[in-house]
Amino acid sequence: MTLVTPDFVEELQQYGDDTVLRCFNCGTCVAICPLINDSFPRRLIRYIQIGARDRILAGGRDLWQCLHCGLCSRTCPRQADPAEVILSLKRLVLAAWREEDTKNV
Amino acid sequence: MFDPKVITALLADNVRKSGNPFGLANGSINTWWKGKNLAGEGGSLLLTGLMYQMVPYINAATGLLEKYEDTPTAERIRFARWVPRFLSAAVLKMKASGEDRNSAARILEDITRILAASGVDFAYRPELDFYSGILLYDLGDLDSFITHARRVAGRLQEAGVERIITVDPHTTWALKKLYPRHAGYAPEVRTYFELADLSGSTDREVTLHDPCFYGRYLEVSQVPRTLLAGLGVRCVEVTGSGPFTTCCGGPAESVSPALALEVGKRRVTELEATGRPLVTMCPICQANLRRAGAEVMDLATLLAGIVENRRTGDSSRRTEDRGRKSEEFPSAAIE
Ligand code: SF4
Ligand code: SF4
Repeated sequence: MTLVTPDFVEELQQYGDDTVLRCFNCGTCVAICPLINDSFPRRLIRYIQIGARDRILAGGRDLWQCLHCGLCSRTCPRQADPAEVILSLKRLVLAAWREEDTKNV
Repeated sequence: MFDPKVITALLADNVRKSGNPFGLANGSINTWWKGKNLAGEGGSLLLTGLMYQMVPYINAATGLLEKYEDTPTAERIRFARWVPRFLSAAVLKMKASGEDRNSAARILEDITRILAASGVDFAYRPELDFYSGILLYDLGDLDSFITHARRVAGRLQEAGVERIITVDPHTTWALKKLYPRHAGYAPEVRTYFELADLSGSTDREVTLHDPCFYGRYLEVSQVPRTLLAGLGVRCVEVTGSGPFTTCCGGPAESVSPALALEVGKRRVTELEATGRPLVTMCPICQANLRRAGAEVMDLATLLAGIVENRRTGDSSRRTEDRGRKSEEFPSAAIE
């Protein structure tokens, strides 16, 4: 079951991103990404849009595959800036992991 | 893939302690300038950002990580405790290859030759040559990046540095775009090849691999092409070039050498399709493309070789012994 976090987009804004809602899921970024890996980065953007915060955290490590090369952002027809979205997600996930560690100490 | 949390914590801790991601004293990494009699005063400050100097340690670390990535041993070991020990400064220092160190030093020396031949007034002060912290930014550790950037910016401001010459795309991006935003410091930043004004002539063809930050983020890929064209070097293009360049894969090497290699190999296939000698202008790209099996020359080596050949062939000019004969320049090998 996926828990929906309705204010996830606002939470992510604190970590830098404010373009994610522009994405209309065309898939250009997936086609051009040098990782040629299933649906990275569109899948992550869709998760953000639907508030699937726990899914992002569960697969958090995969974010670090991103090379921050920017090819997706360059070719995105909606200026959704997926490369920056992923960088913001890395910041959010790092913060969540650190918070977890603090709780566990 | 290694745990990004552990790798990021290790690198951030090293940057905090030593100013660079390897926990080694900057002075022990940065030795290329010794005996070069570079001016310490005047004009713009040449700031290498230590990226070229770090390549021998990056190669050593990647070699170690590569050995254990996705192996049963890796699974059994708790990386949080283990990684810092096996990636310690002492181990990396021991494993860094002398040839890699010499190669980085030669490229930096070539850059100073290019600046001198272009009549650029520049100074080099090793005590002000800092690592930018860019890896922390790319890994998502914004707080650690900002802390480091502010420390570096403070030192440069204190020294009155207003104009900086950079040598690699990552440091250029950091100083030009990230430092003004995150450290309140906005010096004038130019790459050495933007300042190059060279004469010389040759007749050859090469293929350039544009680093992402030069090609896409900073949009300066036309500059080396124009410079090379003026010297008689034609660039044979691949589809992924300029603003649409394909990444070399290098940025993944700290968390996944296997992924970095896979992406690097795909890029090498694209580049080698032209059949021309490959040239790039980023130490990370050069290192990763080499790891993926390609012969890749640095732009500075190519440029300095052409300038040097012109000088040694022109008897009206003073041809001082610069410690290396013209035929030793790799440019001779690509004709
Ligand atoms: S981020 Fe841009 S390129 Fe990717 S799916 Fe959304 S609109 Fe398309
Ligand atoms: S920035 Fe990341 S997601 Fe975008 S194309 Fe490059 S590797 Fe793929």
